[in-house]
Amino acid sequence: MIARVWSEFVYRVRSMFRRADVERELDAELRSHIEHETARLVRDGVSPTDAERQARASFGGIERIKEDTRDARGVSFVEQTLADVRYALRALRAHKAFTIGVVITLALGIGANATMFGIVDRLLFRAPSALRDPETVHRLYRYERDALEVSANRSFSYPTYLDLKRSLTSFTDVAAFYTPRYSVGDGESVVELPVTVASANYFNYFDARPFRGRFFTAAEDSAEGAQVVVLGYDFWQSQFGGRDVIGEQIRVGAPLRTIIGVAPRGFVGVSDQGVPAMWLPISNFAFASRGAAYTTYYEWSWLEVIARRRLGVTRQAAETELTGAFIRSWRNAYAINKEWGTPEAGDLRGAIGPIQLERGPQAGENSRVAKWTAGVALIVLLIACANVANLLLARALGRRREIAVRLALGASRGRLARQLLTESVLLSVLGAIGGLAIAQWGATSIRRWFIPSEVTVNVFTDMRMVAFAAAATILVALLTGLVPAVRSGRTDVSRSLKDGARGSSLQHSRTRSSLLILQVALSVVLLIGAGLFVRSLSNANDYRLGYDADQVLFATTRLRGSRLTTAERASLFDRLENAARAVPGVTHVTHAQSVPFSGNDMRPLASPGVDSISARGRFILQIGSPDYFATMGTRIVRGRAFGAGDRLGSERVVVVSEGMANAIWPGSDPLGKCLRFAWSDTAPCMTVVGVAEEMHLRSFDDSREHAYYVPRLQMPDEPPQLQLLARVNGAPERSIEALRRRLQRELPGSAYIYVRPLMQLVEPNLRSWRLGATMFTAFGALALVLAAIGLHSVIAYDMAQRKRDLSLRVALGAPTSRLFGMVVGRGARLVTVGLVLGGSVAMWAAPWLKEQLFQQDPRDLAVFGVVGLTLLIAGVAATLMPAFRAARVDPNQVLRDE
Amino acid sequence: MTGRIDLPQGTLDLLILKTLSLTAMHGWAISERIRQISKEVVMVPQGSLYPALHRLERRGWISAEWGASDNNRKAKFYKLTAAGRKQLAEDSKLWERLTAAVGLVMDARA
Repeated sequence: MIARVWSEFVYRVRSMFRRADVERELDAELRSHIEHETARLVRDGVSPTDAERQARASFGGIERIKEDTRDARGVSFVEQTLADVRYALRALRAHKAFTIGVVITLALGIGANATMFGIVDRLLFRAPSALRDPETVHRLYRYERDALEVSANRSFSYPTYLDLKRSLTSFTDVAAFYTPRYSVGDGESVVELPVTVASANYFNYFDARPFRGRFFTAAEDSAEGAQVVVLGYDFWQSQFGGRDVIGEQIRVGAPLRTIIGVAPRGFVGVSDQGVPAMWLPISNFAFASRGAAYTTYYEWSWLEVIARRRLGVTRQAAETELTGAFIRSWRNAYAINKEWGTPEAGDLRGAIGPIQLERGPQAGENSRVAKWTAGVALIVLLIACANVANLLLARALGRRREIAVRLALGASRGRLARQLLTESVLLSVLGAIGGLAIAQWGATSIRRWFIPSEVTVNVFTDMRMVAFAAAATILVALLTGLVPAVRSGRTDVSRSLKDGARGSSLQHSRTRSSLLILQVALSVVLLIGAGLFVRSLSNANDYRLGYDADQVLFATTRLRGSRLTTAERASLFDRLENAARAVPGVTHVTHAQSVPFSGNDMRPLASPGVDSISARGRFILQIGSPDYFATMGTRIVRGRAFGAGDRLGSERVVVVSEGMANAIWPGSDPLGKCLRFAWSDTAPCMTVVGVAEEMHLRSFDDSREHAYYVPRLQMPDEPPQLQLLARVNGAPERSIEALRRRLQRELPGSAYIYVRPLMQLVEPNLRSWRLGATMFTAFGALALVLAAIGLHSVIAYDMAQRKRDLSLRVALGAPTSRLFGMVVGRGARLVTVGLVLGGSVAMWAAPWLKEQLFQQDPRDLAVFGVVGLTLLIAGVAATLMPAFRAARVDPNQVLRDE
Repeated sequence: MTGRIDLPQGTLDLLILKTLSLTAMHGWAISERIRQISKEVVMVPQGSLYPALHRLERRGWISAEWGASDNNRKAKFYKLTAAGRKQLAEDSKLWERLTAAVGLVMDARA
């Protein structure tokens, strides 16, 4: 049996690759037969000429025998497919414009999907590169219950990390990391870069050998930590040109550190904060920030923890143990600092999540937008497919005669359908290649928007991308090829031959109209989505944050190791503030305790007669200079702002935000009320002297977030933050350098100042809305173009088919305006049906979009109206050309051509 | 065409295998040999000989090789493979049983 299959296989492979040889052999064999027969006849006494004729005659039709022999040999599937491919290639080459149009359409559709697949895959499914056994590696989370809510948290203190590492048995290993920004380099060439500080065992999670040198050891990651650094491959390439740097020194933060290794190419760890430029021992960072006490300082939660679950331990068992460990750790904290209190049952809960941050409880906006956009991309692909199916159908109609002839000559319908399908497959393969090219080179910026820590992937060699493209190809081939293939099978031979290419079939035109309506409807849905997102973005842009960030610069100092007492800090700040005020262009300067979307200071508060203030909202403390409100542009709604008169010795004052006043003293006048810090019963009253508009410091739409403002002059014991906000005239970018240079002069040692527009901090928070608006608009526009092309081609094709009918009308005296109206009317009718259909779907589906929109009604009639009008205009425009052509039909010529 | 019989379906393969069981032969020689042995009763239809040969080759029962014939002409020689020999044995047994059975039926009827 096996031998027989093998022999068949060899035979077929041979006949496939040596087609010409086999054919020549057969020829020779038959010739040899005739020669032998001739020879025999000659031996029998027939004259040579007669003998050959006789031999040939008795042999029968040579071609016929050859054909039968070929059949006996069998035609392989591959051979037939190759023939189909050759045939399809010829057909595609013959219609270059058609082919290019279809391939571009499909490439755009597949490219959009490949891009979005890559992003969603990266955010949700793909494990960080080189991570070993990613399904057993978890991020650790701690659910905490406070007065307001239960929330997940993944920042832990160093001693908590040590507690976990020491006690957990469900995990084989527990590692910690954090990715702050460090100032790297010396003098003028200092740059701020993301640097991952990690425990030494962090590297054990990966199958990664250092490209040069080594990673740091546990000994180097203890006590104050060794001054060693492992460079990232890209940083090494760009800064050192890839030369041998092991043993050299580089200044990272304050100290000079010895380079001990270079990470392998493409290694980023599990960072979500951009590609780290280098890696440092985590103890080193902790020691530099908090001194030797860092191992017992529970108040500072900053690092993230990952752990590898032991084989055979269930997730549930691991989480139960983790909860116990968190509670014990809390008790350890309480033993040191009684302010911690003891956790009540249910206050704390441990949870383990996948290594992909976006799949855990703290998933960000990006993955949500990415999922939406992926869905939108799929709709674009459907539109592209409908478009291509329509074009193929139109062409199949044009080729009806050809198909009928081939049917009449005996080609089987199955074989014809296969040939048409081969064409679709070929087109979608070309489209997929184009799509991958778009995903590779055209969409890098989109990838970067969604994924800050993206390392470039080559989509052509990445198995998952290629598999996706292959799946998309099959889907597209089926979607675009099936209808024309099935239709061709139903060709009525005699009628098609009789009618030629001329007659138009109502059935066909109905299929194509439905496809067209589908396209229009889908485009309507996308464009309405785009419209809603654009409105939502403009709402977010126009949203009053409670301050004017446009003209404000934010300056922050990096002390880089200089240690200052509270008094030294205060005097340094005063010098900085005065210096900043003297810089030309700067109009107002203030101290900043909390900075929008950067760092916030929240403290326990109390007010006589009001209980549990902490359950009434999140209150963010702002400690400002007298110019605070003028600098920020925050308006005072009632009472007064604090000013230069509110100083040490005068009555202690506070300004609260409107929302805060309502939350703490609902229904009564906040002015004159007393607010105290709740850390001791003797903390003095601060009298509310003013109410300011609501300020958004942490998020755009959290209604429980409020702010209150205290003059710095009345808080002399409070070490000032060495950061300030400055309002400037004109474009803020122009003043950055002057301000930076002036402030830098005041700084001690290697400390330096970092100045940037406040907008830079605000903008990223608009990102999810901006992303949504951009992606929806881009894809919506693509859909509109595709739909317009589709409409144009269908109408134009119909016109070409009905030329004869039109010219008869002209010949019979129909005015050209009537013809024009007829053509445009047909287009407008199709578009209108699609509009109504798409509009209804959008109306029904819109509420699901609500969460993605910023203060935007998902059923905004203005958006629906504008989209409807746009499509109608686009639709009519698409029919104009064919309509002009129809109106200019010359009956003489057309009828003569027939 | 007096005295000549068209081959029943399927017997051609058997005859070819049988003929080739003695020695390797080329197409014309096979048909000639069958003609001679059957005393000119069985004429191999030229139109089916070559399709049959190629079919048998595809199944791996015979293999082909180019060589020179008696009168020094180039010809494609077929020879029986091991598989072909086994097939021939099976088919011969089948054939004998069939002819015997057909004989019984015919005799009974007579």
